[in-house]
Amino acid sequence: MDPFVFHTPTKITFGQGVAASACDAIQEIPGCRIVLITDKQLLKTDLVNYLIAQWQAQNHICVFSDVLSDAHLTGVNEAVRLAKNEKCNAIIALGGGSVIDTAKVVNIILTLGGEALDHQGMNNLTSRLLPSVAIPTTAGTGAEVSLVAMIKDDIEGKKLLFGSPFLAADQAFLDPELIVSLPAGLTAATGMDAVTHCIEALVVEGTSSPITDCLALDALNRLFKHLPEAKKDGRNLEARSQTLVASTMAGMAFSSCGVGIVHALSHAIGGQFATHHGMTNAVLLPYGMRFNLGFATKRYAEMARYLKVSDKENDSVAAQKLIDSIENLISDLGLPKNLRSLSVPELDGEKLQQLVALASSDPAMIFNTRQATEKDIVKIYEDAY
Amino acid sequence: MPVFKNAEDLNRVMFALWDAIKADKSMSSQLLRSKLTISFIYREPDSRLTLDCSDGEQLKVYIGETNFKPAVEMFMKSDLAHDFWLGKVNIPLALISGKISSKGPVNVALALLPVIKPAFKIYPAIYQSNIVEENG
Repeated sequence: MDPFVFHTPTKITFGQGVAASACDAIQEIPGCRIVLITDKQLLKTDLVNYLIAQWQAQNHICVFSDVLSDAHLTGVNEAVRLAKNEKCNAIIALGGGSVIDTAKVVNIILTLGGEALDHQGMNNLTSRLLPSVAIPTTAGTGAEVSLVAMIKDDIEGKKLLFGSPFLAADQAFLDPELIVSLPAGLTAATGMDAVTHCIEALVVEGTSSPITDCLALDALNRLFKHLPEAKKDGRNLEARSQTLVASTMAGMAFSSCGVGIVHALSHAIGGQFATHHGMTNAVLLPYGMRFNLGFATKRYAEMARYLKVSDKENDSVAAQKLIDSIENLISDLGLPKNLRSLSVPELDGEKLQQLVALASSDPAMIFNTRQATEKDIVKIYEDAY
Repeated sequence: MPVFKNAEDLNRVMFALWDAIKADKSMSSQLLRSKLTISFIYREPDSRLTLDCSDGEQLKVYIGETNFKPAVEMFMKSDLAHDFWLGKVNIPLALISGKISSKGPVNVALALLPVIKPAFKIYPAIYQSNIVEENG
């Protein structure tokens, strides 16, 4: 067996209504003052308002809700200003990946000082951060357990990467009731983000382990079974629970082994055209899988058999059946199948070269099982358009 | 026992290696195109080596502190640096496990890994001639 590292520092609590006890996790801090980071859409929901009222009854909480759908540096800086003014010493993130990533970087600055750019990089944080709780309201990013955060630098138009075991939330509360109101389209798109995490984590080069394999494979199976139900009937709490837990499991897997070319290409598109991350992944996933096919045939075949989309066929046939079943899943979920449908403008000339440069230098690319040349990346983008 | 007995050994080997990379147009031209400034901060023995490709014309190598802040800083043990140049390091695993840490846009540096890969072939000879013969 090859050497591996698996790290998951977050305590995970799952159950209907568990979000109500999120403050209990951190209120033992003397003089606890909490900054709650969330988004404006969530603040419109009765359940979130009820939760905040409950928390505020026993704790000092200030609310920052100006997080955009793509986490931005401006939002981070504004949240830091508020939290400093309010002398906050703990953080709750209630929202999707952008909210949780914003909270992670806010926590770095509140704890270590300086600006976000001072802390960009991998493994460079030297101490524990302020106590933090993450409560996901989508089932997709796995940000509640991941050791990374990506923030868009609004001025430079680049994605900034922060990676450290200290970035993981101390506690994650997985409450399916919070996902019930997620619209069908977002349920499908965020779910496909989790599917992509599973598939990429299962074919990365040199960092996967029996633990990440186990998490990713089981999560993939749960998503295949329950994502269509969760999309069709958002009030189906069992389907919501299964996809929520699967998303967290996928997050634990990819945090310790990385993702691959689909994420690299998707980050570049998202950074340039503000497309939804999950939808972009869904479009690019079959193309990325075909690109890796010759290098991941056995792994794809294993996935196909585990998902029971293949039985006794040889590896090549089984691997192709996995790709077919992914395409069927994307169709069933009613998600876009090409970049044009995501309102990405025609890709040519300088714009295409810029995208290729961004994708080539994306950190996810070093984990991919097959090295991609600039020509390869151009072809995938063109095919996916 | 560490591969490099002291910082002088480490600096001599790394300087000779980067001299060879500079002389190889296929590698140096791509590095210069990146306009990257990057420092490698080594531990045990401790040293700091900085590459400056910022003017796009000349690849400059500095040992020790510089009067400019590099865009990227990479931190690792000197033994790991040696293994890296021998082509023996699983970089993704080293990043995930924290054996390599970085400050700044590490993606820019990682994108250059394929560019410097040909240097893996010349490193053993450079190491031999700058350590073994020097100490022998």
